Amino acid sequence: MTTGPGPHTRLAGGLLLWYGVLGGAVAWAAHLLVAWPLDELTCAAGREHVSAVPLWLAVWLAVVIPGVVTVGSLLVATLVWRRTARASSAGAEDRAVDRSRMLAVVGVWANLLFLTIIVLGGVAVLVFPPCQG
Amino acid sequence: MSTTTSTAPGVGRDDLARLAEHWAEPRSLRAWFTTVDHKKIGRRYLVTAAFFFVLAGLSALVMRTQLARPESGVVSPQEYNQIFTMHGTAMIFLFATPMLFGFGNFLVPLMIGSRDMAFPRLNAFGYWVFLFAGLFMWASLPFGAAPNNGWFAYAPLNQVQHNPGLHMDVYALGLLFLGISTTSGAINFIVTALKLRAPGMSLNRVPLFVWAIVATAFMVVFALPALNADNTMLFLDRRFGTHFFDPSGGGNVLLWQHLFWIFGHPDVYIIVLSALGIVSAVLPAFTRRGVVAYSLIVLSIVAIAIISFGVWVHHMFATGLPQLSYSFFSAASTVITIPSGIQIFAWLATMLLGRLVLRVPLLFVIGFIVTFVLGGLTGAMFAVTAFDQQVTDSYFVVAHFHYVLIGGAVFPMLAGIYYWLPKITGRMYHEGLGRWAFWLTFAGMHVTFFPMHLTGLFGMPRRVYTYRSEPGWDGWNLVSTVGSYLLALGLLLVLVGVVHALRRGRPAPADPWEGDSLEWSTASPPEPYNFPVIPRVHSLHPAWDARTAESTTTGATAERVLSDGRRTLFTSELDARTERAVDMPESSFKPLVLAGALLVFFTAMLLAAYPVAVVAALVVAATIAAWLWPPRRPDEELGVAS
Ligand code: HEM
Ligand SMILES: [Cu+2]
Repeated sequence: MTTGPGPHTRLAGGLLLWYGVLGGAVAWAAHLLVAWPLDELTCAAGREHVSAVPLWLAVWLAVVIPGVVTVGSLLVATLVWRRTARASSAGAEDRAVDRSRMLAVVGVWANLLFLTIIVLGGVAVLVFPPCQG
Repeated sequence: MSTTTSTAPGVGRDDLARLAEHWAEPRSLRAWFTTVDHKKIGRRYLVTAAFFFVLAGLSALVMRTQLARPESGVVSPQEYNQIFTMHGTAMIFLFATPMLFGFGNFLVPLMIGSRDMAFPRLNAFGYWVFLFAGLFMWASLPFGAAPNNGWFAYAPLNQVQHNPGLHMDVYALGLLFLGISTTSGAINFIVTALKLRAPGMSLNRVPLFVWAIVATAFMVVFALPALNADNTMLFLDRRFGTHFFDPSGGGNVLLWQHLFWIFGHPDVYIIVLSALGIVSAVLPAFTRRGVVAYSLIVLSIVAIAIISFGVWVHHMFATGLPQLSYSFFSAASTVITIPSGIQIFAWLATMLLGRLVLRVPLLFVIGFIVTFVLGGLTGAMFAVTAFDQQVTDSYFVVAHFHYVLIGGAVFPMLAGIYYWLPKITGRMYHEGLGRWAFWLTFAGMHVTFFPMHLTGLFGMPRRVYTYRSEPGWDGWNLVSTVGSYLLALGLLLVLVGVVHALRRGRPAPADPWEGDSLEWSTASPPEPYNFPVIPRVHSLHPAWDARTAESTTTGATAERVLSDGRRTLFTSELDARTERAVDMPESSFKPLVLAGALLVFFTAMLLAAYPVAVVAALVVAATIAAWLWPPRRPDEELGVAS
């Protein structure tokens, strides 16, 4: 209890853990809030370009970048999950480890869920031309 | 198993006496108006929301009576418009959400082992605002000035050119007024659950009901500003000639819809999510085991809360946006069924693995699962665009969302009422009466709403005050109406059951169900200070855990007794490590005065009595200033030099 935080527990309790838990959610929210208005507003203005970038490419980027962020978040959550597994199998009840472990499980599944949404939205980019009514 | 707390081992007699003295509230009229006790406020929320439920339910009966036969004239079309609008608006805003806040207010501090909410006076204020805002809206009905444009009040029909009179001003001002209550309540829940958890209750030991309430509170904080902005613009458009929603003046009609549904879609989950929290709280006691897959349920609560914000456009699939933008929203809308499904499967698994005790609360949980799943299935049918086009704005939709709302909110709430009645009132309910109430509400619900799927498929549109005699419509409408009277009878029996329990019920022991969460380790009803010793939590099911029980008896420490004032414990947000003791406020008139001044302000705005509104606004400002003024230090009060 009184030993200073080792590198493992720091990973388990710090900012990185929160990236692992909420990264996918934030990435998906960003994807939605960028991709949708981009498509919406550009088409409403009757254009097919966003300042020289073709609209389809812009929307595509708004899918791929959040997708990559989510994959990163998924990896972090998995890492935390494995490390806390090792720490808790080494014995000794520690609330911080238990709590991180629960958050890691939540993170793994949440990131899979959000990755699914982003990928489904991404499939649509391949299927529909941007401004079809 | 459970001991009564009046003799609470672990606390000395003089400690108990001091606790009782510090937390005492005399039985006087003054105390009644000034109380800040979360249990009394929670009870008031429950009673008031139930009262508005009765009003909204009577409105529904009037509608069903009117629709029993073709071309009947029980009410005029103008009256019908006001009645169905008030029914929907009140059910959503004045019943479902406040009812859940009532459960939350009563239970969250008890479940997390605290002595009150984080901001008790804000809590009292929230209740008074809710009461006044509800009365403000209902009072317009007898004057024939009630909102009349449906609960989502689309532009441009909400504009003064199309809808003169006070109707939509009542809607805009009433919801803005009510929003103050909902927002302050939500902030209170968030801070309470983050800072006041008993030592040892780290995030992985927080009861699922508390997770649900906190997720809901975050949703309120993010969703409500959209509705408030919408209603502010609506009021400005109507009263002061702005053009936010008026295309001829450069405004945009779709703006109303976007803002409304950015609030409105999450709102459905605000209601259902915390009701699902009740289910997760009730199940352990009647299955004799913890709910399966705790982390996955937490995940689904968090995921639903986040995803529900990204799908509002699915209410606007008829507005002509590009296909690609629809698809972003369709993807998210489809995926949200996964977390809801996870919870259902976790409960079914809990019931399969546990030992069922078939009492009334469990009956309502089963009724909930059946009804909610059926509502979910018809919801999934809307995802098929061709089908959606066919049934949109028909009675099929009315059937669908009542399955979701009555199944997903009313049944869990009824389960919660029977489950916690012993804790809230200190009395047991009558089992036989409860069973009758269940079967009548369950049968009544399905007899009322199942036929609406059919009348909808046969083409009967929603929001019509009457219809011509059509083959297939008349008979089923009559069946629906008969069903609605059965349902009303069942709900009446619930009320009779509560009154019976209060009058005649056996006194309840502290823990009649052998429940798993901390509220069951307090007296029934709990003492004003809730816990003589704030427990130290050692597991997810503290009331089943010997070490937690021991922490309040032989393991009690002075830092968790806190008898030298009206005090409770602050702990750290993630791991609930003890930080320090904090003082809680005494009872006060300020919440009532502030809410009253706001009522005067909103009424004056409605009646265009602007000078009165200005005076009321000044009183509001002065009361807030007095409220926030730093208190005199106690030694000064006593005149003792320090
Ligand atoms: C207690 C039994 C109930 C009955 C008999 C009932 C009946 C009805 C009927 C007949 C309508 C259709 C009005 C029309 O389209 O002309 C309606 C609308 C509605 N109901 Fe209920 N209802 C009940 C309970 C509830 C509950 C518990 C809720 C929500 C928690 C609710 C929410 C709504 C909403 C939001 C509308 C839509 C109003 C609108 O179109 O603006 N109802 N109800
Ligand atoms: Cu929706």
